[in-house]
Amino acid sequence: MAKTPIGLEPVIGSLTSSKKREYRVTNRLQEGKRPLYAVVFNFIDSRYFNVFATVGGNRVTVYQCLEGGVIAVLQSYVDEDKDESFYTVSWACNVDGTPFVVAGGINGIIRVIDASNEKIHKSFVGHGDSVNEIRTQPLKPSLIVSASKDESVRLWNVHTGICILIFAGAGGHRNEVLSVDFHPSDIYRIASCGMDNTVKIWSMKEFWTYVEKSFTWTDLPSKFPTKYVQFPVFLASIHSNYVDCNRWLGDFILSKSVDNEIVLWEPKMKEQSPGEGTVDILQKYPVPECDIWFIKFSYDFHYNSVAIGNREGKIFVWEVQSSPPVLIARLSHAQSKSPIRQTAMSFDGSTILSCCEDGTIWRWDAVPAN
Amino acid sequence: MDDDDNNDAGEWLSEKTRFKMAQVEEKTVSSKEILSVIDSLKKQVAADRSLSVKKRLEENSKKLGGITNHLYTLSNERRSSWIGDTDSASDLLTKRQKDALGMQNGIDLSNGDDDGYSYQEPSTAVLMGSSIPVKNAVRPIKLTEVKKLPPYTTWIFLDRNQRMTEDQSVVGRRRIYYDQNGGEALICSDSEEEVIEEDEEKKEFFESEDFILRMTIKEACLSDPVLESLAQCLSRSPAEVKARYETLMKEKDVEASKNRDIEAQNWNSFLEKDLEAALDSFDNLFCRRCLVFDCRLHGCSQDLIFPADKQNPWNHPDEENAPCGPHCYRLVLKSERNDTVRSPMNPEDKSNSSSDGVGAQISSKKSARRKAKSSQSESASSNTRNLSESSDSEIRPGHEESSPTPQLSPSKNKIAGKSGILKRNSKRVAERVLICMCKRQKKMTASESDSLASGCVSPTDMKLRSNPRKQSEDATSSSHKDVKSSNTGRYRKKDWTLKGVQGEVPPNETVNDLALTSSNDFSIREEFVDENLGKQELSDDNSWKAIEKGLFEKGVEIFGRNSCLIARNLLNGLKTCWEVFQYMTGADNKLAYHAASGVLSLLEGCSKYDLNGAMGSNEVRRRSRFLRRRGRVRRLKYTWKSTAYHSIRKRITERKDQPCRQYNPCSCQTACGKQCSCLLNGTCCEKYCGCPKSCKNRFRGCHCAKSQCRSRQCPCFAADRECDPDVCRNCWVSCGDGTASLGVPPQRGDNYECRNMKLLLKQQQRVLLGRSEVSGWGAFLKNNVGKHEYLGEYTGELISHREADKRGKIYDRENSSFLFNLNDQFVLDAYRKGDKLKFANHSPEPNCYAKVIMVAGDHRVGIFAKERINAGEELFYDYRYEPDRAPAWARKPEASGSKKEDGAPWSGRAKKLA
Repeated sequence: MAKTPIGLEPVIGSLTSSKKREYRVTNRLQEGKRPLYAVVFNFIDSRYFNVFATVGGNRVTVYQCLEGGVIAVLQSYVDEDKDESFYTVSWACNVDGTPFVVAGGINGIIRVIDASNEKIHKSFVGHGDSVNEIRTQPLKPSLIVSASKDESVRLWNVHTGICILIFAGAGGHRNEVLSVDFHPSDIYRIASCGMDNTVKIWSMKEFWTYVEKSFTWTDLPSKFPTKYVQFPVFLASIHSNYVDCNRWLGDFILSKSVDNEIVLWEPKMKEQSPGEGTVDILQKYPVPECDIWFIKFSYDFHYNSVAIGNREGKIFVWEVQSSPPVLIARLSHAQSKSPIRQTAMSFDGSTILSCCEDGTIWRWDAVPAN
Repeated sequence: MDDDDNNDAGEWLSEKTRFKMAQVEEKTVSSKEILSVIDSLKKQVAADRSLSVKKRLEENSKKLGGITNHLYTLSNERRSSWIGDTDSASDLLTKRQKDALGMQNGIDLSNGDDDGYSYQEPSTAVLMGSSIPVKNAVRPIKLTEVKKLPPYTTWIFLDRNQRMTEDQSVVGRRRIYYDQNGGEALICSDSEEEVIEEDEEKKEFFESEDFILRMTIKEACLSDPVLESLAQCLSRSPAEVKARYETLMKEKDVEASKNRDIEAQNWNSFLEKDLEAALDSFDNLFCRRCLVFDCRLHGCSQDLIFPADKQNPWNHPDEENAPCGPHCYRLVLKSERNDTVRSPMNPEDKSNSSSDGVGAQISSKKSARRKAKSSQSESASSNTRNLSESSDSEIRPGHEESSPTPQLSPSKNKIAGKSGILKRNSKRVAERVLICMCKRQKKMTASESDSLASGCVSPTDMKLRSNPRKQSEDATSSSHKDVKSSNTGRYRKKDWTLKGVQGEVPPNETVNDLALTSSNDFSIREEFVDENLGKQELSDDNSWKAIEKGLFEKGVEIFGRNSCLIARNLLNGLKTCWEVFQYMTGADNKLAYHAASGVLSLLEGCSKYDLNGAMGSNEVRRRSRFLRRRGRVRRLKYTWKSTAYHSIRKRITERKDQPCRQYNPCSCQTACGKQCSCLLNGTCCEKYCGCPKSCKNRFRGCHCAKSQCRSRQCPCFAADRECDPDVCRNCWVSCGDGTASLGVPPQRGDNYECRNMKLLLKQQQRVLLGRSEVSGWGAFLKNNVGKHEYLGEYTGELISHREADKRGKIYDRENSSFLFNLNDQFVLDAYRKGDKLKFANHSPEPNCYAKVIMVAGDHRVGIFAKERINAGEELFYDYRYEPDRAPAWARKPEASGSKKEDGAPWSGRAKKLA
């Protein structure tokens, strides 16, 4: 990495906790023995804001957070293939609003589960290798993107079961893609990152007709003219190691590698020459003992705070949009020692869930101010 | 950085400075003070930075607020649409939710029972509050198994090979390899090889750095210690800092006038751009081998090779007589002629009278000319003729015959030598100059007669030629633009003019075989027409823009001197046919004068200056372009070293141990000698070379007739080459025999066709991709094929051996490699780009074989059937790994079954650890 020039230094957050909010463990579940790789709240449908899903091994489980730290199991799904190991899960829905749980993992098959009928809706076969992350388009929750070890990112329509676009090829990733995210307001834009140490921003503006077509497609999904998007509109080399999580924060991007920090940066694109541009690193959020890969962070609904676990079972909650960044809280528990693969923040950030390598789910609740 | 902040800071600082200046008059400021100044500035910058970050985050946050509110509304809409739905009871998720809530309330009410899960019923929610594993507490819903695909990396289909682009190189890049079985990450590079070539790029100065620079110097004056401490602070050299400061100061002054300049420039740039500049991009982007723009195989910055053999200009016999439109020169000429036939005082009349065909007049003039020919001018013309002979390719044999035996004169040798040097210098320059010479020489013969004829007839000519020296200088400056016109075309044109005017066609004057002697006769008459027309034209010249002139030149190259075609095809909407004709004839006359004066000066011994001038300017202009191009061409210097060759690659070693040699067209303009790059490289010359067809190093193709080029008796086949319709005598592609309608292929029985052009014509079999019976993916055949049938091409990215070594290391770890040795320079990599045949598996007893074949100058890999293969059979071929490098599954002894993917246990990514 080149030395940051004077005048463009990032603002680095201080690790002294502001103790703005206090969290306490209110529940701890042992789901199974296999590691849990993902946990996510449903932000798609306000009925289910307190419903979350986890994946681990060949299992997808749906829970509900209740008052007083209680967690209820609502549904549990098991893949018949014992070798399946789900890595990621996301909430989506049909065009009429039927809630779907979408999960993917080592087999490379994306499972779309109809949660309101408790049965499989569709299985997407196409990825040539494991699926590392699935995300849902918040404005059109029938669209999902998946990041895979096969070096591609794919856009799917869960309603019709169509693979609309494949983001790979000449300008694509050169190794596993580990993370992908939809821009919150620019519906055409996604960002992906992976083992080739880069973050790439893609635009599907020119291909939007295909996206629209996918909603009205009545023929077999396999006959849909899937398109390749071969060139990203922006490429950022910010990290010097695997980039395992990236999320948009408005027009900025929050990404992390294995360097014990999350980086907030702004992609500055050159309109005339796509693929080129500069990166302005704005802020850094230190996260100690976070030097292993496949640790993902999460926001609350309003992007006020971000929570991330580390290798030793601790959680760091940052006020993400303040400058300089403020550490809201540092959560630790004597028994939480296993690496935390992902966290989930509830709608208002008052509840934080963490899923761990040892198969446990921890629930932390904010202690009321008074 | 915010501008306002900067300005504020600047004001604040300058005030401070003034204060200081008043206090301390002395110019030298101690280093401590300098440092403190810099420090304070740095702090200022840092504060500005954090302020601006804060500002931007706030702005972003505002936007985000709106976005999340919108999303929240959406999520509420989803809810309400469901609540409105009467069917909501059928939503199991909602039901479970309610159950759970009810249960919790029940618990709360019962107020004692803390074991929620004791309430459990099948298929309702379970409350969890303890450490009993969830998986045991609920009955899971089964997701039926779906068969997964064999693993593959997303790849792009290629129907022809592509050269790797630079940004896809893995050389010099760190790649961390994650071993999914061991759970460890390895940095996949050799420390000594991996010298990270961090280009010492000139780092740009950022705005903030400029600010510090400016303010510090403003405050502490420009002195060495100041520069030094600044350099230290900005981690640059003092010289750099100083240079930057100077440019900053300049920028300030320039800034104001800049904007106006830019505007003016934009306005002019289009009009002043000449065709050369425009064609530069054409030269760079158009591939002359594939005849496409932006060719991905040969790259867009390949060396330009121009063939020594020139094509005759395009001619269209049908259009000779018909006027091309209302502004056709034929119509105009005709009308003018009609107007002026009876007015002897009109200068046009001269031409008319002469062209009206008074035979006696012509013949007398002719004889007069011959008699009066001075020995001086004769030697001059022979001079130039000889000169053009030495630059062989340009002159047609018929023409040479008609020229008199050359008489050597001292000055000629010099010029000939000069042109020789130029030829070597750059083919392009040479080409231009040759054309020039040729033209000049033609003109000279013309002008000779012209001068003789006009000497007695037209006094205006004398006037025009009164200042030969000046003319010659003009010629030098403009020759490379105006000289462009091909001689054959010129004479032909005159023919047409005559035909159009007189309706009388001499029988032996067919378009191209115009004997010089006869054309001389006409040229006498024609010169008058030309001159007279030209005179009024000369002043109009200025109205021709550079781009139009350039287009005209190209037009003459393509169509000959046919104003109709030029106007219609190249200057449509810009110039009419008549205008083009005028310009053309005007240019001719000018040339005639220039040439004549050239002769004079040549005789005076000044020719050297004259020609040098012309050539010199030409050379400089072209050279710069050449240098530019050369800079962009990436030359592959990698040499073939079998020892440095590690990774597993598919190879072909059946006949040769030596790899094929990559062909690169040579740029020889004469028959290839020892310097020929093809000869040095050990390849044959091909049709893409610059050398003439007579080159001894050319591969001459085959003459096979009935054998259909299917055996080693065919020289092409024997040399592992496909036949080339351009080269081989009897190998051609037809759309029928001419009698049948177009597009109907010839019948197989009676009309033999070459069977050695399958790659070129893409006559491949349908290959299907499926699950292999052996391992992973496999390639299958859709139809039955016979022995030695061509199945398809193995396409991929062309990468260097160095790159292949690097990539191979990564592929070897994954135990699946799509590398294929192509020749001494390139390896094919089908990992990310290729076609379905890349999935054909290895077998020691294969049913196919691969063969590297030269197709139109490129090496390509064809897959052929080794035996008869039935539809639906899986394809295998022997990868021919080097024995000691072959992976375990490809080694011969235990090769009971073929396996490409070593059955790597899919136990999974046990741990995701760095």
